Amino acid sequence: MGIINFAPKILDPIPGGKYVVNAVDYVVNWARANSIWPLTYGTSCCAIEMMSSSMARYDIARFGSEVFRASPRQADLFILAGTITRRMAPAIQMLWEQMPGPKYVLAMGACTISGGPFIYDNYSVVRGAQNILPVDVFVPGCPPRPEALFHGLLTLREKILHETCRNPWQEGYPEDVSRVDRYREAAKAWAELEKIKDEEMAEAREKFKAENPDYKSAFKPVRVVKETFPEVERPAAADLKSGELSQTDIFNAIKAKFESATVDEALLATATSDSPVEITLDVNEYLAATEFVKNDPRLKMDYLIDVTAIDYPDHFELITQLRSIELGHKVFFCIPLKKDESIPEEKRATSLLAKVPSIMQLYPAASIKEREVYDMFGINFVGHDDLRRIFLDKDFVGYPLRKDFTNPEMIKRPV
Amino acid sequence: MSMTQLPPGFKIIRDENSEAYSDEFFVNMGPQHPSTHGALRLAIRMDGETIVELVPHHGYIHRGMEKQAESMSYLQYIPMSDRQDYLTAIQNNLGVVLAYEKGMNIGVPLRQEYIRVMLQELGRIASHLVFFGCFGGDLGGQTCLLFGFKEREMIHDILEEVTGSRLTTNFFRPGGSRFDVPDTFIPRVKAFLEHLESTMKDYERFLSKNVIVRERSIGIGVLSKEDAIAYGCSGPVLRASGVNFDVRKNNPYSIYSQLEFDVPVAYNGDCYDRYNVRIAEIHESMRILRQCIDKFPTEGPWRSKEKPVKLNPGRYYSEIETAKGLYGTYVVAASGDKPYRIHTRGPSFPHIGVLNKMVQGLTVSDLVTIMATLDPVIPEIDR
Amino acid sequence: MFVPSITNPVGDFVREWVPKLAEYLPASIQSDTLNSIVAFLINAVICVIAVCLVNIGSAPILIYMERKVCAHVQCRLGPMRLGWHGTIQTIADVLKMLFKEVYAPAGVDKFVFFLAPLVVLIAPFMVAALIPFGENLVVADIDMGIPLIIAINGFGVLAILLGGWSSNNKYSLLGALRSGAQMISYEISFALVLLFVVMVAGSTNLMAITQTQSGTVFDWWIFKAPVLGFIAFIMFFITSTAEMNRAPFDIAEAEQELTGGYHTEYNGTPFAMFYLAEYIALVTNSSLAVTCFLGGFHAPCIGIAAVDGILTMVPGVVWFFAKVFFMIWCYMMVRWTFVRPRVDQLMSFEWKFLLPLNLLLLVAGAAYVALVG
Repeated sequence: MGIINFAPKILDPIPGGKYVVNAVDYVVNWARANSIWPLTYGTSCCAIEMMSSSMARYDIARFGSEVFRASPRQADLFILAGTITRRMAPAIQMLWEQMPGPKYVLAMGACTISGGPFIYDNYSVVRGAQNILPVDVFVPGCPPRPEALFHGLLTLREKILHETCRNPWQEGYPEDVSRVDRYREAAKAWAELEKIKDEEMAEAREKFKAENPDYKSAFKPVRVVKETFPEVERPAAADLKSGELSQTDIFNAIKAKFESATVDEALLATATSDSPVEITLDVNEYLAATEFVKNDPRLKMDYLIDVTAIDYPDHFELITQLRSIELGHKVFFCIPLKKDESIPEEKRATSLLAKVPSIMQLYPAASIKEREVYDMFGINFVGHDDLRRIFLDKDFVGYPLRKDFTNPEMIKRPV
Repeated sequence: MSMTQLPPGFKIIRDENSEAYSDEFFVNMGPQHPSTHGALRLAIRMDGETIVELVPHHGYIHRGMEKQAESMSYLQYIPMSDRQDYLTAIQNNLGVVLAYEKGMNIGVPLRQEYIRVMLQELGRIASHLVFFGCFGGDLGGQTCLLFGFKEREMIHDILEEVTGSRLTTNFFRPGGSRFDVPDTFIPRVKAFLEHLESTMKDYERFLSKNVIVRERSIGIGVLSKEDAIAYGCSGPVLRASGVNFDVRKNNPYSIYSQLEFDVPVAYNGDCYDRYNVRIAEIHESMRILRQCIDKFPTEGPWRSKEKPVKLNPGRYYSEIETAKGLYGTYVVAASGDKPYRIHTRGPSFPHIGVLNKMVQGLTVSDLVTIMATLDPVIPEIDR
Repeated sequence: MFVPSITNPVGDFVREWVPKLAEYLPASIQSDTLNSIVAFLINAVICVIAVCLVNIGSAPILIYMERKVCAHVQCRLGPMRLGWHGTIQTIADVLKMLFKEVYAPAGVDKFVFFLAPLVVLIAPFMVAALIPFGENLVVADIDMGIPLIIAINGFGVLAILLGGWSSNNKYSLLGALRSGAQMISYEISFALVLLFVVMVAGSTNLMAITQTQSGTVFDWWIFKAPVLGFIAFIMFFITSTAEMNRAPFDIAEAEQELTGGYHTEYNGTPFAMFYLAEYIALVTNSSLAVTCFLGGFHAPCIGIAAVDGILTMVPGVVWFFAKVFFMIWCYMMVRWTFVRPRVDQLMSFEWKFLLPLNLLLLVAGAAYVALVG
């Protein structure tokens, strides 16, 4: 491509030379516009629609674009399929830089246009691909159908056909508009358009009335009968199977061993097999209780469903959900964790506020789950051998699932 | 990279003077790689072509759904569940809605139960067909990829007709669904089943008995029963390791207790078993669908009386069996029309957690096979 | 005296006309030596052009064919928009590649990096010069045809090793190393299968091998040596697929594993060269298969005089390319049907199965020659 770009400078001054340049332009653009090889890249839902578009039903090959290259060095088109997160953005920029020019970017889906469903109260999503890359074509939809992607592809084709080597393709520069609330801006613009339209319509109506004073509309409203539905009772939970312990039995077994175990009596009375009751435990007895329920022959809680936490103003609650694969019953431990009051107010947002023993030795599955809780809540798991942030960068400030978490990138959801 | 300082996450320390150590190097698979099934980065420590240790790095598609849920109304969260595991979006919808129904103490009429079960099973077949395609595709047979997606499109046609959307369905609501199914629903499902019956025979002949597929998947990536339970695996991965656990049987929701179906279980825990379990599940799903077609109530209400979606204060947990495994939704409801916290337990997360244990001593090619049979969906891990 | 040995009608025509035209030159510089050298040079240029035309011309056709075959295997349509049924799609692709930016990524060994795509073209072009496309259509009709082909084939692996090593990318390096191991192993079987043909045909000259297959279909080496010929043909098919790094033996590229293997870091024209070489190798390997097993340029006569009369009316070169395209179609169907074996499985398949079988085949071939031939 390098030499071609010098051609106009040399040829244009020569009589008839510009026709040669025009011809070269035509041929080159024709080739580029009809042979767009996309990069195999996709992060989320849009990627599966992008895949669908290359499959038998839709067949992107008809446009000559089925050659999905896994290496950016051989690709022409970067289809940004799926949400772009702050962690992914540098990787995307690097991929774009690795593509040889001329290269094009097609932003597929609402997330890459504006952040889509993830625009409000979000700390990790880049609001629009144009913040990080120069985008050629936007394809709206969540996710766009394959037909929409083809429309985007053909629009890009049109764009390429209008290029010329007199004004060659060059790298664009991303805009720095990351914190703009595009939804609200668009809504405002839309409202203004609607206002103009309403005014025009009112004018037209008045004009029509003035011109046809004795016009009577033949429109008669049709009444749609609203369907009514009966109120359906929630079915009772299935009976306990043989060998399965009821929630009360489980609680009693634990209570007998651990003094601090308490439970909401009202809930326990109505508890069924599919709605496990949370047994509140003191943090000091947490590890022992987990070990007990795992090894006790009556309980055999060998399967860790999940570890998660809830942030309350004055304390965290760690929820450990266990079940027995063999016997079929579940137990949820709820561990209140007091927030460390000794940490000064200004440092609270960035420091670990509570600690709890890790159950990773008992349940290997807890390893990643506890990392997630650590990452999201800033709870220290004592005894975890690889406590790193899991979803966020290691230099991310704050713990997002705390209720008082703030981030400069967050836009508040309008009420 | 300096070998004296290991990157974060790597643990196995070897004798620095040993000969094998000098040949080791690190390879990054992802975040953009054709066979990581999304934005996942696998840092691999390799000795030649042999994998010594593998550390998954998550978070490249962490979208903060759980934080967003705190400022959304309950209904606004249902489309979020579509975007977690987009291959089984319709199943995730149900998982969330079941938790809401517990909180609202509302039931659904029989017709709706059948609609739910049928759409669940269609979603399961769709997801397993994608697995079939990706398994063949990741082994190098691009044609399988297209075959899997070909039949899936027919399911999407049905889903589109019923829900109005191909992929992100956003269909179920507490007490019912957004719409009733159209009259053409049952005939279309029937026609689809007839079609799938014959094509599945071809597809199975294409992969199941292929010598190269068997060579590459039998005995590869063995996950023992103990490990599968300890690491929290679920769904076909757990069942391929010899654990007979299926939420539909063990904690039946909807009307699964009234339907007749088997839970396919295999005992070797290798890639081939995981593949076979999924193929058998397609057949079981077809069996469930056929029963539903026979019993489908043509008359009767399709939803319960509409109520404002507002949960009674408390904590609600629901779990369902999606195509990938156990999908749990934990809702903490305070007063008001917004959840205090919603947490999702996705099936793919533990599967990636156990990956390091499965790939040690195998090659990159095997890693690709194993990743395909674990069938993870990364946005559901990162949320 | 130096006598060029290019034998074909065009060569004879040139040799005939060069002395006649030389008569118009001043008598002082006329000489037979000069005439023969000039005739040789003209012939050489014509041959180079012919080989380039056959090779480079067939590549876009084959790429188009591959995309269509692939599409129809996968229940798709393939390229449809550019030209009738997308016939000029590959021309757009090639032009686009030529006008793409070419750069070497940071940290590569630039000389070797750009040398590799040139080296990769050597082997297929040289082999093409040895193939008899028609009764009188062969560029270099040399007696050591098959040993030369075996020798030249080694160049392919050199290019891939160079490209993979110089790319400064671990995926490329892995791909190159895989490919090196694979191609060197399969070269042995490849050579042994060709030696089987040499043994039964009694010559290493490709033209002579073709001539031994004149007659009906049952005189082709695939059927002439009962069962043995067929086994040899299948083995040639497998080993040549591995030699060409084509799926299902494309472990060197392995897009799902190594994102493209040795050519991960290549872009623009150098990448196009790798792409081109793959398809030219397809032509030459298919030609070799046709020459050795499928009767070369001979028409598929069936022994009924009336039918044979019609069949032989079609020129040999047409038959040759018809067979070549049939072979290519077979290669393509295999590519889009099977999944890829693992590296170690591929190697053990060669060393533990193909090589012993090949040696047995040679012994059986010797017995056949002793008893029948």
